[in-house]
Amino acid sequence: MTMIAVDNLTKVFPTPDGRGKSAVHGVSFRVDKGEIYGLLGPNGAGKTTTLRIISGLMSPTSGSAVLSGYNVFDRPQEVKRSIGFLTANTGLYQRLSPRDILRYFAELHGMDRKRAIERSERLIEWLDMTDFADLRCGALSTGQRQRTNIGRALIADPPILIMDEPTLGLDVLSNRMILDFIRRERSVGKTIVLSTHYLDEAEGMCDRVGLLHNGRIIADGTLDELRKCAGTDRLSSIFLTLIHERQSVGFPAA
Amino acid sequence: MNFRRIQTVFVKELVDILRDVRTLAAMIIVPLVLYPAIMIGGLQAVSTTTQAVEGERIIVGVEPREAWDAVVVPLLDAERRFLNQRAEAERDRVDDSTTASTGDAPPPVARRPVADQVFLSERSPGESLDDAVRQRHVHCGIVVQGAGWRTGNTADPVRIKLKYQPEDLRSEYAAGRLTEAFELVSDVQLDKRLRLLNIDRDFIEPIRIEREQLSTPGSVLGLILPLVLVLMTITGAIYPAIDLTAGERERGTLESLMACPVPVIELIVGKFLVVSTIAIVGAALNLASVTATVYFGGIEQALSGAASDGAQGFPIRALPVILLSLIPFAVFVSALMIAVCCCGRTFKEAQNYVTPLIIAVIVLGGIGSLPGARLAGVLVVMPVANMVLLTRELLSGVSVGPTVFAWVLTSTSLYAVAAVVMAAQVFGRESVVFADNVSFIALFRRRMFVPCDRPTVTAVGIYAVILFPVWFHIQGWLQLDAERDMGGVFRGTAVLMPILFGLIPMAFLIWRRVDLTATFQLRRPAGAALLGGILIGASAWVLAHSVLVWQSQWFGGVPADAEDAAKRAIASMPLWFVGLVLALVPALSEELFFRGFLLSGLRSSMRPTPAILIAAIAFGLFHFLAIRMVTTVALGLLFGWIAWRTWSIWPGVAAHICHNAILAILLVRPEWLRAIAPADDAAAAAHLPVQTTAGAMVMLGLGIILVARSRRREMPAPEAVRAGSTRRGSM
Repeated sequence: MTMIAVDNLTKVFPTPDGRGKSAVHGVSFRVDKGEIYGLLGPNGAGKTTTLRIISGLMSPTSGSAVLSGYNVFDRPQEVKRSIGFLTANTGLYQRLSPRDILRYFAELHGMDRKRAIERSERLIEWLDMTDFADLRCGALSTGQRQRTNIGRALIADPPILIMDEPTLGLDVLSNRMILDFIRRERSVGKTIVLSTHYLDEAEGMCDRVGLLHNGRIIADGTLDELRKCAGTDRLSSIFLTLIHERQSVGFPAA
Repeated sequence: MNFRRIQTVFVKELVDILRDVRTLAAMIIVPLVLYPAIMIGGLQAVSTTTQAVEGERIIVGVEPREAWDAVVVPLLDAERRFLNQRAEAERDRVDDSTTASTGDAPPPVARRPVADQVFLSERSPGESLDDAVRQRHVHCGIVVQGAGWRTGNTADPVRIKLKYQPEDLRSEYAAGRLTEAFELVSDVQLDKRLRLLNIDRDFIEPIRIEREQLSTPGSVLGLILPLVLVLMTITGAIYPAIDLTAGERERGTLESLMACPVPVIELIVGKFLVVSTIAIVGAALNLASVTATVYFGGIEQALSGAASDGAQGFPIRALPVILLSLIPFAVFVSALMIAVCCCGRTFKEAQNYVTPLIIAVIVLGGIGSLPGARLAGVLVVMPVANMVLLTRELLSGVSVGPTVFAWVLTSTSLYAVAAVVMAAQVFGRESVVFADNVSFIALFRRRMFVPCDRPTVTAVGIYAVILFPVWFHIQGWLQLDAERDMGGVFRGTAVLMPILFGLIPMAFLIWRRVDLTATFQLRRPAGAALLGGILIGASAWVLAHSVLVWQSQWFGGVPADAEDAAKRAIASMPLWFVGLVLALVPALSEELFFRGFLLSGLRSSMRPTPAILIAAIAFGLFHFLAIRMVTTVALGLLFGWIAWRTWSIWPGVAAHICHNAILAILLVRPEWLRAIAPADDAAAAAHLPVQTTAGAMVMLGLGIILVARSRRREMPAPEAVRAGSTRRGSM
């Protein structure tokens, strides 16, 4: 069952010189239920812009994205209800505690006070946040902040998770914990799209990947399919081979 | 709008902001500490300085130099002598009255002779007396004129001119003291001369003038306090407004917030309510602090001076009204702050944007603080200035009429609503949420706007809200000279109306890259629709007339004087001019604005019926004639329906021109009315003959059928406009 269908997405940012800057060009991919789809690419490849568009935060210049059966441009609120979006930066309200934040976002998602408290407490337990749940966020470490952010993204128990660089800047222990958590979410049937530029990390976790370079998807498929296509095993090698191939055949830059 | 979610945002933001020490400092400590400190400290400083000055030496320069010994010193000695005599007489009188009664009236404080303080300064060679005063080498310059003092001729009086600097406290004091001294001597000498001649003083002084100051603490405070209150209210709103908007972006929480299924307007309303609450609490604390300082700080008497008799005390009863009027102001300021701060990406950037806003507020508040300013005319609807004036009037005990009060509150509330909507538009804009690559200025460059079909409801709403008071006052201004030159009223209207209702909206649309043809509905209409429009316009006036006649039986008609003056003026004008200024220009301008700009903007986010209704009500309100409101709104509905049905402005323009032209012609050529109406004098006030009304109804019906059946061109549904992301409304 297709949960996410992205077709020919293009985003051109207006620039003061009037020429426009193309960030995403003709991006298309599909993600089925219970699947982890990795959107991989170097910095500036267009991963964040793609994720912002499919989360309803940004409008595309052209193309479409359907999540849980809703077109994100016609029904952005319905789409937002069915996704949990983890942004790339770990910004939190400095004067609130993780517990305050989880309850706030639960209520913003329409839960009543009792349900908001129940759900927050469950996530505090799952994400092992008990020790710092009542500290002000200004005093938390990066790992603790990221766990709070993941809790916030999951607060409404959405069927789709969109995660932008979920392990960016984390230490080994926090990294492991977050990745385990993502796998656990997949095991309960969640559809997950994540972006990362850590290719090794994606290799061990994603069911399918889309390699994004200069705003275009240069390859899309399971790891085995990509290995066959590139004739090499490791994802980083596959990525470099495909970029080299595209450049040698004059693949236009975005 | 989901009020529970707004409440959630409100509670969270309030808790968040109140946990910040800086908010509490700005909200509580500043008013509670600052006012007593400034007022008590300031008064004490003034009092100390004044006392210090009173004891100081008065250095004078005299011109000519020999007048010092010949005139000034004798006059000062005479003052000392008279004062001593007066003090002795007073002591004797008090002693007598004390022995006669047990009255406990204190003896009056004797004035100290100024001679004890005055010293002559020898000027440097070449330095004029004026320069000596300006350079503050002397406190006061004494110029002695007239020849009598040299010759001893009493018929040639001594003329003394005192030169001083009023902005220098010492100089002012010196001039005051010397004036008192010289006047006393002059008075005593005059009395002596009158006694010699046996003339009563009242005989040569038939009118005696005394001035009594009736200052109250309220009126004294009214000069400065309103502006201070306004500034303090703003100060209270600045920090929360920045923290809740630009701060949200700087912390990196805005993206997460925008990913929630909550409409931006709900987030903004929640945040705006928090800022408003803090601004209102701040305003209330400021007001309470001022009151407490005035009462308990012993300032009431110092402010009111001699008039402090209790009855004229601080107007405590005005305080709830002042607070009530500060609430919409605080709301307006909060909305404005939120709207401006939304544009900032960082705290610092938002602070930079707030600075010009504060300067604008100070300038507007300054206009309201001008000594001669009164709460009337355009100042009633001028933001900030109206609130400063209202507070001043209330503090001074001047009664403010309910209409003026309502105008101030309504206009301020309208500005607040416009600012909140504008804030929601800015806050949700992708270019602001993710403006990582572009500068703030670049956001306002024309080429940064995406071309779109229609303006947004916000843009047209804000323009209409601004235009309403502007047009109202332009009309009032044009009418000032109406009695003398009615033609001037028409000429002014004919020039200003196309500019305000057509050209400025057009320039705005060009800047925002909005399609002019689609917005103004400039498409070529079907021939049948045009004919239908003409028939409707040619017949609608008959029905409008009937409604007015029916209405006048219940509510009275247009004042006869006003109507007669207009009729007389119009009758003397050439027909082509009347047609131009009463039919063509208003019809075209109003159709472009109400059925083009406004209706298109409203249609970008609402269904046809409410959009046409709102545009028609606006059309009615802009005519500023309550008695014609029903007919104007009805005509607005009809013209709006024509524009929507034909997807073109031209049939409505044709209808509007016909309607206005017929009414104008009947005013210029009233005899033509008699061809279709009874020939008696009461024709205008009476119903038209049944056959005329019936004929008009048939014409109107035919016109409506023609419009309804003409080749209909569907307007794109708003949903379709929104879905096509490249053609979204801008702003």
